[in-house]
Amino acid sequence: MATARLRLSEPLAITAAAVLFLGVFPFLHAQGVISTFTLGVWGKYLCYALLAISVDLLWGYTGLLSLGQALFFTLGGYMHGMYLMRMIGDLGQYKKPIPDFLVFLGWERLPAFWEPFASFPFAVAMVFAVPGVVAFLFGYLAFRSRIKGVYFSILTQALTYAASIMFFRNNLLLGGNNGFTDFKFILGHRLADPATARALYAASALALLLAFLFCRWLSRTKFGLVQQAIRDGENRVLFSGYATAHFKLFIFVVAAWIAAIGGALYTPQVGIINPSEMQADKSLEAVVWVAVGGRGTLLGPIVGAIGINALKSWATRAYPDLWLIILGTLFILVVLFLPGGIVSLPARLKALWQRFRSPRLPDPAPPAAAESASAKP
Amino acid sequence: MAHPLLTVEGVSKTYDGFKAISELTFYLFSGELRTVIGPNGAGKSTFFDLITGRAKPDRGKIEFGSDPSSHHDLTGLNEYEINRLGIGRKFQTPSVYTEHTVWENLVLSLHGPRGVFASLFHRLSSTARDRLDELLRLVRLGEKRDWKAGLLAHGEKQWLEIGMLLAQDPKLLLVDEPAAGMTDEETHRTGELLLSLAGRHSLIVVEHDMTFVKQIAAHGQVTVLHQGTVLCEGKFDDVQADQKVREVYLGRGKHGTR
Amino acid sequence: MTHPLPCWLRAVLAGLFAAGALAAAEPTPRQIIARAALTEDAAQQRALISSLLGRADDAIVPLLEAWRKDALFLHTAADGTKTPVQLTGDPDATGARVASRVDTGGPWLDASGRPVRLNPSELTAVEHNTSLRRAMKGVLDLVDLAAADPAKRLKAIQAIGLAQDAEKLPVLQGRLATDSVPAVRRALREAIALIQLKDARDEVKLAALAELRELHPLASADFLQRALQEARERQNAAVAGAARAALRAVEDHRTTVDFLGTLFRGLSLGSILLVAALGLAITFGLMRVINMAHGEMIAVGAYTTYLVQNVFGAGLTIPCFGLSVPLPGLNLSGAAYQGYFLAALPLSFLSAALVGIALERSVIQFLYRRPLESLLATWGVSLVLQQGFRLMFGANNVQVSSPSYLSGNWLINDVILGWNRVFVIGFAILIVFGMWLVLTKTPLGLLIRASMQNRTMASCMGVSTGRVNLLTFGLGSGLAGLAGAFLSQIGNVGPSLGQGYIIDSFMVVVVGGVGSIGGTILSAFGIGGVDQVLQQYLPSVAPGLGWVPGLGGFLQNLAQDAAVFGKILVLAGIILFLQWRPAGLFVIRSRGLED
Repeated sequence: MATARLRLSEPLAITAAAVLFLGVFPFLHAQGVISTFTLGVWGKYLCYALLAISVDLLWGYTGLLSLGQALFFTLGGYMHGMYLMRMIGDLGQYKKPIPDFLVFLGWERLPAFWEPFASFPFAVAMVFAVPGVVAFLFGYLAFRSRIKGVYFSILTQALTYAASIMFFRNNLLLGGNNGFTDFKFILGHRLADPATARALYAASALALLLAFLFCRWLSRTKFGLVQQAIRDGENRVLFSGYATAHFKLFIFVVAAWIAAIGGALYTPQVGIINPSEMQADKSLEAVVWVAVGGRGTLLGPIVGAIGINALKSWATRAYPDLWLIILGTLFILVVLFLPGGIVSLPARLKALWQRFRSPRLPDPAPPAAAESASAKP
Repeated sequence: MAHPLLTVEGVSKTYDGFKAISELTFYLFSGELRTVIGPNGAGKSTFFDLITGRAKPDRGKIEFGSDPSSHHDLTGLNEYEINRLGIGRKFQTPSVYTEHTVWENLVLSLHGPRGVFASLFHRLSSTARDRLDELLRLVRLGEKRDWKAGLLAHGEKQWLEIGMLLAQDPKLLLVDEPAAGMTDEETHRTGELLLSLAGRHSLIVVEHDMTFVKQIAAHGQVTVLHQGTVLCEGKFDDVQADQKVREVYLGRGKHGTR
Repeated sequence: MTHPLPCWLRAVLAGLFAAGALAAAEPTPRQIIARAALTEDAAQQRALISSLLGRADDAIVPLLEAWRKDALFLHTAADGTKTPVQLTGDPDATGARVASRVDTGGPWLDASGRPVRLNPSELTAVEHNTSLRRAMKGVLDLVDLAAADPAKRLKAIQAIGLAQDAEKLPVLQGRLATDSVPAVRRALREAIALIQLKDARDEVKLAALAELRELHPLASADFLQRALQEARERQNAAVAGAARAALRAVEDHRTTVDFLGTLFRGLSLGSILLVAALGLAITFGLMRVINMAHGEMIAVGAYTTYLVQNVFGAGLTIPCFGLSVPLPGLNLSGAAYQGYFLAALPLSFLSAALVGIALERSVIQFLYRRPLESLLATWGVSLVLQQGFRLMFGANNVQVSSPSYLSGNWLINDVILGWNRVFVIGFAILIVFGMWLVLTKTPLGLLIRASMQNRTMASCMGVSTGRVNLLTFGLGSGLAGLAGAFLSQIGNVGPSLGQGYIIDSFMVVVVGGVGSIGGTILSAFGIGGVDQVLQQYLPSVAPGLGWVPGLGGFLQNLAQDAAVFGKILVLAGIILFLQWRPAGLFVIRSRGLED
């Protein structure tokens, strides 16, 4: 497998990428070489990469195709967004001490559940607690009754669908259609400040690095072995004495947290969070990133998330009518012809090249690589 | 007489109107090697499914444990709980983790704590490594320890699964057609391995290959299943001589080819 | 006519003549009005007009309206005889128009038999004053009461009842004595009872209450409430008790009506879900292909219906990829135009089936053993198709109007049954029956069932599984197209039409048990029913949710959005249901270790 042959250079590559994203980019920004806008766009990509990693942790490593990861991403974003809304104070359109949309709905006082969100630590706790509880409850019920495969996918899609129609309602008192926007301050700093933008970007890069390292560690523990065994033959794992439901529940909650962190960092950098972020399509888009990048690898989702979103930024400006057709076609092609994603390309090309160089020899690619390229459904 | 290790009494299981097991009663004592034979559809696999929790009986009693004061009702437990009590199963079609290496397959099967957090912070002790090395030698896969299990030949997969079963160190081994896909020499060696396990472990072996059955049932009992119930039980020669058995099973093919 | 009349017809005719003769005995409304126009005495005039109360005659309304608008004239002949006339037809060169007699309605002929032409300046308009106009209005109000169309009568009677106008009581009672249509009689009794509710006498009131209790009309609830309040204030126990009993009867009736209405809406929603999910039950249930583009197949059917409708009508121009393609119209009208829907049904099936077949050949055939991959690839297809619709038909919803035979309502015992809803139920039954026929009675069905149960075995037996897959997928997609033709009659048709149905459809199939058509049917109606029950009863439960610690107010708030909250509860219910039956209602068993 490609990563196996790159094992020696891998730590080096990780360090290089970390230095580039964590050190060089912010430095160039501070020097004025990179604009704040560009840095913000990259910050957004990195948040999406976190979402992609969470999808891959479930799909690539555990065989659970969750079509609801955008829900956890958005919930994380909303929890942090509530803090940011409180920080607007009375600087909103209506100059009232409560968020504008509440004034618009005719509220005089802040609803009780909004009160504690003035505290940043509380909001951070909620970024983990709310997606965690939702993931735990749903996962508990789903895994207990051994819902798996496409059933799991369909149910996660239904979950995020149910949540989105709920969040679209004004009655939920979370901003309805428009969600939260017009943020002003975070931890006492103006969001419009380039330094704040830089700090948020750096936090995103750091979060991504930590998530990456965590998943890398996880995949090499015995837990990782069990996780991948569940993907390949869950019943066998059960008969080996592992309570697979517990393992799946654990990973489902962890993945929800990773997505939620991404969402929490996304909200202040993009400046808006609304229910359209949790619609079923968004989750599927995240799955596209992973599929295109290469699932069952840790690099793949990051490459996919950044690559496709960069493509999207360009295409939606250059060919707004065709973007969805490009995305859909790309996806169909990758599923049909490149199941290993972009990161499997070098190994594939190398194999092709070797076959071209010495056509007499039997296929020199180790069978293991070929196997992993066509990972299990 | 001692209390049986496995007690199966009056068990029935129906699938969509088809009686896979009906009023089955079966006892297995500690250290015994029992061979179960029977024509296709006799209910052998369902019998294993019921013991290992894959299927729940419609009625009847399945209990495990030779100590009468602390035996377990298996009908209320699920697969992994039953496995943790010390019941290991080898499946009819070899089921190994195809994407894992031979070594990893054994690590996953090794006796030890099975919880989420135990797995997160699990480290192989040196005794565990020695044990795994010993198992690798036993199943003759030492050379291929870093191969993906999916790349092994059918017979090798059978051996690996036997190795995985042994790694679990179960009290009771349920072995479903271990000789399928093996050469004659390998089959004989499997038989010897199973015989050497009897005594320390208890075993139930389902098999079709009559030469193999004759080898492993030399000292133990043979149970014949037919239409989900026990047709007869006894020494291999007695069973073979039994008129009813000849009619339903042996009579159809003298050497019991599949 | 040379044929002898059948004897029953003769009897009827005889009866009619007898009735005509009777009617001739008393003056017709025209004659009465003519006499009133001639009368000088205001009181007598009023009495004559009021005598028209409760009479039904087509002449009354136009004549009285004309009188009020000064278009009823008196012609004074040289000898002083006055004749009430109306002027009809176009004025000639002198401004004179043809005169018609008020008392007969026919043209006024002179001695030589030629129609008399009169100029308005030769005539005087018949006078009227306030009290006369009031009397006219009273008559006009009651005219509908005697209309030949029972529906018109019914409406008039109900209006009078709700107004509780005691003056009209005698007319109503008179009507009750003659009217023979049961529904009208019932409405009359209701209206009479409602009016009598205001009567000062207790015994009348009690009788009215007893009547209302027996008839329990829904509209009487407020009046009964008021009567009960009044009786309480006056401490009239007997009336209060009777009012309470009548009120209870009305409430009981309302509960029944609500229940039946909910049941009906549940049935129709279930049918919609079923129609939308049936195609999926084939592609997902039988073939195990997760077709995320199923919703777009529905949209293909809906857009086909849209095109067919416009081609039957005036034609249209579609903004097809910026090319503005004109489609000529057949410019049909009436029944031929209304028939477009019948033509749209097979065409929708065909077009969606063709798209499905193309999809199967190009993408799905490579993914049969990889269900999750088929899910992802078909989602890609769904994105492409959605954008395709946008580029072809524009991003906005398009207008599909229902044929006349699909609009309108049917009222049974106060339960409103929309025609299109009734139709969707019948349609669902038809489709299910048709599918059952295809699956069980045709060679294709046999092949489908064989290769779905055991693909390998079937191909060993010489079944060309490739072709069977193709046809099965075409069938499933075609059914989705049919659903689209149908759903275009109930909801909007737009590029994201399919998105609204896809999740529901999947839920239906999952709950029903994948691979079981019977399960799909049961689950569609189950989900539809539960959804409607929740929507009906949630608002009344909402205030009771305050007890939930911490979330009480939140839930109360949310439960007011009955549609959304109901939907969420249904989804939660489905997850809980799968705890109990993880494989859905009907399980197809298999014995492999991993599947």
